Amino acid sequence: MMQKKIKTIGAVLLAGSFFLATHSIAATAYDEGTYGPEAPITWDKPTKVTFSHKVHTMDSGLACDACHDGLFTMESGAILATGKMTMAAMAEGKFCGSCHDGNTAFATNTKCASCHKDVKELTPKDPIVWTNPAKAVVFYHKAHTEGLGLECDACHDSTFAMQKGAAGKAGNFTMQALYEGKYCGKCHDGSTAFASNTRCNTCHIGVKGYNRMMGNDGAHGATHKDTKAGH
Amino acid sequence: MNIEDLEKEKNEGIENLPLQERRKFLQMGLVVTGVFLGGSVLSLTSTSHASDQSNQDRDIPAEGQYPYPKHYGMVMRQNRCVDCEKCVEACKQTNHVPDAHGAYRTAIQERLTTENGAEKREFRPVLCNHCNRPPCVRVCPTKATYKDPQTGIVVMDYAKCIGCKTCMAACPYNARYFNHEKYAIDKCNFCIDTRLAEGKTETACAAACPARVRIFGDLKDKSTEIYRLLHTPDTKIWVLRPDTGALPNVFYMNA
Repeated sequence: MMQKKIKTIGAVLLAGSFFLATHSIAATAYDEGTYGPEAPITWDKPTKVTFSHKVHTMDSGLACDACHDGLFTMESGAILATGKMTMAAMAEGKFCGSCHDGNTAFATNTKCASCHKDVKELTPKDPIVWTNPAKAVVFYHKAHTEGLGLECDACHDSTFAMQKGAAGKAGNFTMQALYEGKYCGKCHDGSTAFASNTRCNTCHIGVKGYNRMMGNDGAHGATHKDTKAGH
Repeated sequence: MNIEDLEKEKNEGIENLPLQERRKFLQMGLVVTGVFLGGSVLSLTSTSHASDQSNQDRDIPAEGQYPYPKHYGMVMRQNRCVDCEKCVEACKQTNHVPDAHGAYRTAIQERLTTENGAEKREFRPVLCNHCNRPPCVRVCPTKATYKDPQTGIVVMDYAKCIGCKTCMAACPYNARYFNHEKYAIDKCNFCIDTRLAEGKTETACAAACPARVRIFGDLKDKSTEIYRLLHTPDTKIWVLRPDTGALPNVFYMNA
């Protein structure tokens, strides 16, 4: 009984001290006049996105006129209404992309979760299919995120870039690389997950599996059935 | 044809009779003479193929039982196959297999099953088995298909082929197709003309395989990988349709 009381008092004191500490720092350091609105700007459309003035002004030292009004008008929601603020536009160096180009700041096709807080909403529903270097390898996001509870940053961007087909184009997305702990081999090493040199056909669906997935079943090449059927 | 004519025919001999025929004949004899002796006598017919050195019908030939100067064969390490079909592409390119009528010299078969609710895939590469007792050779009326005396490869003489397709019907492995360009039956010949003749040591399919599923070589040569694989103790090795008695030279294993 006595012990419990002490614990409770301890917890309250600890919480109180944290509150005071954070409150006093925030109160003294952040000035909305200099740094812009304190609350993060959030958009719901086209997807949930958040932007923090603090990170860009107070933490990074940018002045208001770095973005206003050249890149963004100050009026709330005005940019969105134009419908022009898309990832494609940013990739062309517009809006956030004028700094987030991979040079001045991280590129817009990386670190998705920095701005898209609800990134799970954006997780591809359809399986990822690689046809390079071997046709065809399948990967299910759902099995790894919902099934195993992995977060996006378990793989992105350290092991896999988010860009579609990036690994296949890299030229080193081979089984040998996996055995050396790269790509899938980071976890599929026999201890964290099944080893890459076992259960080949869990991921390799082959040309036949690929054709079925793409809806051109019954293309050239023999399946078990039609090789037995004769000509 | 009457009896006198038949008597003048040369005896075909029993050397080239399929195992199945011989077994049938033997079993009939056993039924007639040994029906009361039961299983102990009948079991004599099921000697193990792989282990009995004196058995002429062993799947893997014993020492001194290779009839050709070079005895080419292939081992398929089946569980490594992922159906990327680079072998099929390489074969088509190398041997000019037409992309029509489902023609192929080699193909990948697929078996889909469900295991504990998850889809399970198995792939199996197939091609001509270059049998020691090829049923296709036996039935060809013009001797257009024959065992190459140097290598044991079952080859085609396209000029002699009349396109009757009897060999296609006889082949237990469905390894033959009618080539409309050659107007003859065509089949896998282990790239004897397109690669081996140029001094290459591998078939196009084996060279193209990224997973080294296909190991091609001389079964007789103790220094080859295929010899080592086939003579590794405790490796389970199987052939397709052993019951036909064709004695295929394409072997399957999981390794």
